[in-house]
Amino acid sequence: MARFIIRRLLVAIPVLFGLSVILFMFLRLLPGGGPAEAILGQHATPELVAKITASQGLDRPIYEQYFEYIGRLFHGDFGSSFVDGRQVLDTFLIRFPATIELTIGALIFAVGLGIPLGRLAARHPNSWTDGIVTAISLLGISIPVFVLGYTLVFFFGVELHWLPTFGQIDLRLDIPPVTHFAVIDAILAGHWYVIDALAHLVLPSIALGTIPLAVITRITRAAVIDVSNEDYVRTARAKGLTDRRVNDRHIMRNAWLPVTTVIGLQVGALLAGAVLTETVFSWNGVGSWVVTSIQNHDYIVVQSLVLIFASIFLLVNLIVDVGYAFLNPRIRYS
Amino acid sequence: MNLLSVHDLIVRFRTHDGTVHAVNGVSFDLNEGETLGLVGESGCGKSVTNLAVMRLLPSPAGRIEGGQVVFEGQDLLSLDESEMRDLRGKEIAMIFQDPMTSLNPVLTIEEQMVETIRAHRRVSKAEARAKTIELLSTVGIPQPESRLRNFPHQFSGGMRQRVMIAMALALEPKLLIADEPTTALDVTIQAQVLELLSRLAADRGTAVILITHDLGVVAGMTKRTNVMYAGFVVESATTADLFARPHHPYTVGLLHSMPRLDAQPGEPLIPIEGTPPDLRFAPVGCPFAPRCAWRVDRCWRENPVLEPMQPTQEIVTTGLQATHRIACWNQPTAEEAAAARPLRPGFTPAAPPTEDLS
Amino acid sequence: MTTPPVAIEVASIPRTSRGLWRDAFRRLMRNGPAIVGMVCIAIFVFGALLAPLIARYDPTIGSLADGRQGPSLAHLMGTDLQGRDEFARVLYGARISLTVGVVAVFFGLVGGTLVGAIAGGAGGLVDGVLMRVVDVLLAVPGILLAIGIVAWLGHGEIQIMLAVGISYSPIFARLLRGSLLALRESDYVIAARSMGASPTRILMRHMLPNALTPLIVQATLAAATAIIDVAGLGFLGLGPGDPRVAEWGEMLTDSSKFLQSAPYLILFPGAAIVISAIGFNLLGDGLREALDPRLKR
Repeated sequence: MARFIIRRLLVAIPVLFGLSVILFMFLRLLPGGGPAEAILGQHATPELVAKITASQGLDRPIYEQYFEYIGRLFHGDFGSSFVDGRQVLDTFLIRFPATIELTIGALIFAVGLGIPLGRLAARHPNSWTDGIVTAISLLGISIPVFVLGYTLVFFFGVELHWLPTFGQIDLRLDIPPVTHFAVIDAILAGHWYVIDALAHLVLPSIALGTIPLAVITRITRAAVIDVSNEDYVRTARAKGLTDRRVNDRHIMRNAWLPVTTVIGLQVGALLAGAVLTETVFSWNGVGSWVVTSIQNHDYIVVQSLVLIFASIFLLVNLIVDVGYAFLNPRIRYS
Repeated sequence: MNLLSVHDLIVRFRTHDGTVHAVNGVSFDLNEGETLGLVGESGCGKSVTNLAVMRLLPSPAGRIEGGQVVFEGQDLLSLDESEMRDLRGKEIAMIFQDPMTSLNPVLTIEEQMVETIRAHRRVSKAEARAKTIELLSTVGIPQPESRLRNFPHQFSGGMRQRVMIAMALALEPKLLIADEPTTALDVTIQAQVLELLSRLAADRGTAVILITHDLGVVAGMTKRTNVMYAGFVVESATTADLFARPHHPYTVGLLHSMPRLDAQPGEPLIPIEGTPPDLRFAPVGCPFAPRCAWRVDRCWRENPVLEPMQPTQEIVTTGLQATHRIACWNQPTAEEAAAARPLRPGFTPAAPPTEDLS
Repeated sequence: MTTPPVAIEVASIPRTSRGLWRDAFRRLMRNGPAIVGMVCIAIFVFGALLAPLIARYDPTIGSLADGRQGPSLAHLMGTDLQGRDEFARVLYGARISLTVGVVAVFFGLVGGTLVGAIAGGAGGLVDGVLMRVVDVLLAVPGILLAIGIVAWLGHGEIQIMLAVGISYSPIFARLLRGSLLALRESDYVIAARSMGASPTRILMRHMLPNALTPLIVQATLAAATAIIDVAGLGFLGLGPGDPRVAEWGEMLTDSSKFLQSAPYLILFPGAAIVISAIGFNLLGDGLREALDPRLKR
């Protein structure tokens, strides 16, 4: 088991290094001149280009630049934004909690609804219930996040005024940002504010979580059906166990395995989808920051954010793999 | 009163490709403590018959469409599901062919055995655990306490099947159905497992239905044997009689296609030509007719009924005095059975009828 | 009657190709939802192809005076902020979405299968290195990879095709490599080898048809995601870059501010994306069922 974890880590590290090389080259290989021109964009003048090149050390040999880059990364120095001059890491730590909140909300929605739906459909395969669930999941994977987002905004925000559609909390409430988790900060500030923060979480979570919901529903349904046809389920019935016991101990315990793997992969989709969701709902998370950085040619930020996203994703995958190995006795005890 | 009495059982499967006539009127009786063998090739209905007895047919596809199953005087087909569940595992137990896939891979042996016991008896976990250890040692698992926390994949094939046997016999059922228990095992292990099964059943007085396609397995284990083909029982006799003097052409063919230690060197194995019938069509006439060397015209039109040799004999269905019955219009003689082909001068198997019989 | 000695015929290697496709086609045609999917796709394909004939207005020209009118007989889907006919814009938008999406999948398919075939065929160090590269690409989740590549390459249709294509290629690479590795060890390939069939014959007759089918299914499903991703890029301002050209994603961004007053400007392009994605998803599912007869229903 420990060997398994170490092996997975050893595989992940070269991948991260490879990615860092590519991202490093990304900045140096931008079409339309060197990195300085790209960053400055329209404002490029020979003097400014020279100034940037000197200050960023862009005139030194490539491998020297790379090693310095890696060295700085290890110290937590991801560079600074050209837009506001602040350290990338600082802004990241302020903005990231919003993205985490959104991701968790979407995950709760996707898993909390997806697994029961999948089980329901599997219990009555090829019935009307199954057909409806399958249709819902088909729709779920066919609606882009932003289309669904705007549809939700239109119905629940504009027309019905049931739920808020802008940002994490009502800015008029003036809640001091302590942790930058809106929900936690709201709890710290006072009772009622939590409700506002949670209300702001509903629509974005639904928009972001719908695609994972659809996928999780499908996989759960397939896993439960497959497991139900296995021999050991027949044995369990032959022993005279109740349906409930057969379902919970024999079917679900085995169906969980492929489902947890999929849930882990969906976290990646959630991270990527956050980019779109935060734009639609005007959340100040890391996702919308990627977009604005690209629009502002703030390439150092883009470079760092992609690296961070990838690291998080790889970490999540590692956790999922380890979790799977833990849950599956055939891997755990071999 | 017989322990188990199956009468005219009919089982069909509804599939996308049509209706499969898996079992077409099977009858047999079983006494307490008796061992009955059910022999036949794949698809002949031997497993399906027993799944029907346990009412474990895959639903909604599989359906019992006729017949009676009476166990200790109770009509099993009329019980509701919770009553049937009471019986399963406790009065009637079943073990299956592949012990690797028949045990839950994510639960320990202890968990799987304890749940069996506690599903039918009000005992504490500790008591169930103790019983489990006792059972495991009875089936020959060395150092059972240390293996309780193991998972199925940590056992060898033979050991796994022993665990399955232990699990099945945990509640001392009156009837044990063993569906091809040794088919997935190495030949050397087969003998051990069969011997274990036989001994345990004898010790506890458990009746056993042993399902197999291998006549060799049946020879040492069972007192009586039924031969099945295409969902019918075609021959029923004591095992000794069956081997000494087979009467049905299919049984004759089976015996001659088995490699035997007492065969003369150079003696060819004689396969049965042809293939089993497509069960998607309702049977017309004897299902073995297309492959039978002894067929007469009547075989194509009428399905023979399982009957004793001499019609006036009184029929005994169980025990060592069981009547030797076959379903055939034209039985091979003793010499023909030994030679595996008809010896009557001028006899040719009847050609298929030209008109449509269906 | 003695049983005559039976001559065992050496069975020729079965022709897996022709029968398989014909059976699959028949199964597909009997699949209701798949046909619905194909109809959806056909609607958009024809709409895109015949756009100049069907649309009554030029999608790039409009007068502000006509701006933001609701659906009417004159303008079936209303007009956008600049007075351009929305129906025409949706039709011409289909051209971009479909071509960019399909070509992107094609790029990903070609690149991915090449890498997968080399890795699976060569094995050893080559396999290891190639798969690490694939892992690097996979480390960046979802659309972020495409976003990054477009940020790097700049605006334009070709750039988007490349970006989306590259972000899909790892899936195809892994799929093909996995198929090849599994098939190499499968029983019937070993049987064919033992009968003396040459490696090429094995590859063509046995392995490829079986390796192709999951690729076909995956490519169709990828087309659905590609249309969504292309629209997503447009939505984020990373689209083809020509402000006059109609692109569904960009149309959504432009209209987002007017959600309250002109919701139909979101509805129609949005519905277009959803319906074309549904079409490819249904077709992909139908192909999967048609091409793998062993699937339990």
